[in-house]
Amino acid sequence: MNKVLIAGIGNVLLGDDGVGPFSIKVLESQYDFEGNVELVDLGTPGLDLPVYLSGANAVILVDSAKCGGEAGDIRLFRKQQILRNPPRARIDPHSPALTESISLLELMGEMPREFLMIGMQGGRFEPGSTLSGRVRLCIPHIIDAVRRELRRLNVWCVPKASVKPLGTWWDSFSPKTTDKALPR
Amino acid sequence: MTSRIKIDPISRIEGHLRIDAEVDGGRVSKAWASCTMWRGIENILIGRDPREAWLFAQRFCGVCTTVHALASVRAVEDALKLQIPPNAQYIRNIILIHHALHDHIVHFYHLSALDWIDVLQIPNADPAKTASLAQSLSSWTRNSPQEFKSAQDKVKALAASGQLGIFANGYWGHPAMHLPPEVSLLGFTHYLQALEFQRKSNQVVAILGGKTPHIQNMTVGGVGNAIDLDSLGTLTMDRLTMIRSLIDEVIPFVHQAYLPDVCAIAGMYPEWLDIGCGAKNYLAVPDLPSDGSASHFDLPGGVIFSGDLAGVKKFQSAADPDFRRAVTEDATHAWYKGGTLHPWKGQTVPEYTDFQENGKYTWVKAPRYGGRPMEVGPLANVLVGYAQGHPLTRKWTDLALGRISAVARRKVTVDDLQSTMGRYAARAVRSAMLADLAVKHCELLTDNILSGDVATHNPPQFPKGEVEGVGTHEAPRGTLSHWVVVKDAKLANYQAVVPTTWNASPRDSQGNVGPYEASLMRNPVADPERPLELLRTVHSFDPCMACACHTFDPDGREIARVKVL
Repeated sequence: MNKVLIAGIGNVLLGDDGVGPFSIKVLESQYDFEGNVELVDLGTPGLDLPVYLSGANAVILVDSAKCGGEAGDIRLFRKQQILRNPPRARIDPHSPALTESISLLELMGEMPREFLMIGMQGGRFEPGSTLSGRVRLCIPHIIDAVRRELRRLNVWCVPKASVKPLGTWWDSFSPKTTDKALPR
Repeated sequence: MTSRIKIDPISRIEGHLRIDAEVDGGRVSKAWASCTMWRGIENILIGRDPREAWLFAQRFCGVCTTVHALASVRAVEDALKLQIPPNAQYIRNIILIHHALHDHIVHFYHLSALDWIDVLQIPNADPAKTASLAQSLSSWTRNSPQEFKSAQDKVKALAASGQLGIFANGYWGHPAMHLPPEVSLLGFTHYLQALEFQRKSNQVVAILGGKTPHIQNMTVGGVGNAIDLDSLGTLTMDRLTMIRSLIDEVIPFVHQAYLPDVCAIAGMYPEWLDIGCGAKNYLAVPDLPSDGSASHFDLPGGVIFSGDLAGVKKFQSAADPDFRRAVTEDATHAWYKGGTLHPWKGQTVPEYTDFQENGKYTWVKAPRYGGRPMEVGPLANVLVGYAQGHPLTRKWTDLALGRISAVARRKVTVDDLQSTMGRYAARAVRSAMLADLAVKHCELLTDNILSGDVATHNPPQFPKGEVEGVGTHEAPRGTLSHWVVVKDAKLANYQAVVPTTWNASPRDSQGNVGPYEASLMRNPVADPERPLELLRTVHSFDPCMACACHTFDPDGREIARVKVL
């Protein structure tokens, strides 16, 4: 069955860089998805990204991005816009590797047919495991963008009858981790 | 004439490596390695429950998630003197091995192969000649003329559509590139095949770890996997069989494609066996314990000073008393307060100045072992094992040296590995060893379960008062250590001394340069505007600076800027 991958990218310990993983947790706690939809928090996979993207028919990435606007502004990117600027000399394997990953997947014939990246402008990237207020307030814009894209792909997602707890264990705003909640 | 080169991956918020080098008569005469972002992520852990530390620690870095998870639980277990069941060791080991294989394959093919392969030459290659060359080097089943033709066609199509620039992360047509087109095509074809084997290694991690890239099964005292050979949702015989068949698919790629490719390229660039020698002091910790009490290890550890292999000192345990004592971090030239401190007393208090080449110039502290700068990583791992006569290390190192010698038409010795190319060779040797050890640890796990032992976890007990611990792991980029102080069951201090901190370390209070800085000395630079040679040496270490933030920049014109001053 056609697989749709919805992936959050970013480091949850560096302030607004965690907006991608946070959005995935919001989607998981509030919506049910029809069909083969996989939600995943990919962290900062760098050059490992192609391993996760290959095999999906459609990909929706949520990431922090330099949109040039105010914190919380979002911008949507399709494949062509990402490939517009070629990657340059790379020193380490961790730097953003989206352009290289897409190029590699294209070359191998494994690029997902549908691709959307939702980028949100962050405000604060210092070490810390919470989002800034503005970014947190604007997360519904990301959720809307994901749902619009799913509708376009003819994949249905509906609000859950009862919302599950938000699984953002790293977030100091969330209820304190209890012994019970610790993985065993 | 002296000129100055600055390679600075510019970006607003990313943490990155910046290299400054002075070039005199076409060779580097002075070098500085600087990390341009403050991390201090450890501070987030202070005051937390030690049992949840690994969840945060595995977010230090997006690529090496599992290694930080492991070092974290090992540190807490060390503080509590808590042994873990044999099954937990084996499950952890199988995860670590596959993480490392995945990581080493990515490093060679996707991060650095294009430093040596000139993609512009690929259309000129003869696929039939490539196939006969490849078949003379290895029995890899996917070395047919058709495979090479198909890879070449992909490059030709890309060139025809004017899109070859998407791979423009190398310096093609550079005078230091001199691989025959057929070898370039060989390496590039395996570059395309590599993804499939990364995926298989990653699947092993996902089966045992529950998820990737962030595994879910780690726990202080063992692993969270339930073992029941008959029940679904646990580690069953079916899953063990699936893991074994994935291992059996990955091994041939490592032994028959990756290692032969590295040997061929090393043999064709023999001058790089004489360039890029670093600190000449090497540190590796023992890893892959083969019993619950961690009394025996399949990867040996120890230290070598001044390149003297005969004088190797062996570590008997994962956190050897010598290691515990000898490690310090020196902040003289780093943007932190404090002088030289042991990690348990370590502080992460920023004190930023500008880049001052004689003062503070980086966010990386200078870890030292008994006051000496140490190189860590696969080269250290291989040299320390080789020097001790470790049979598995000798087997694969001697095989690689033989192959490199045959291509280079000169005798290449283990001492020649102390070089830029030696680091690539050592990483491939280590991968070949790990592929053998993947089978061993999968069998150890299966046999132990079949003998009736299904234990995977020993519950931790936290004492009142203060205890200290160190968790070590010989990670893909080298020795990783997490140092914890636990007070009344809460974290009172947490310091991670990561491999790149050792390698990218700045000068210390005695003026000793760090391993990157040492390795860049005497590096040739044919064209200061395109310092490919410096990238080759820095890439040979597999730097891991960003460990961090990576915000996508759609309008970024450049990721790295080279400035000749």
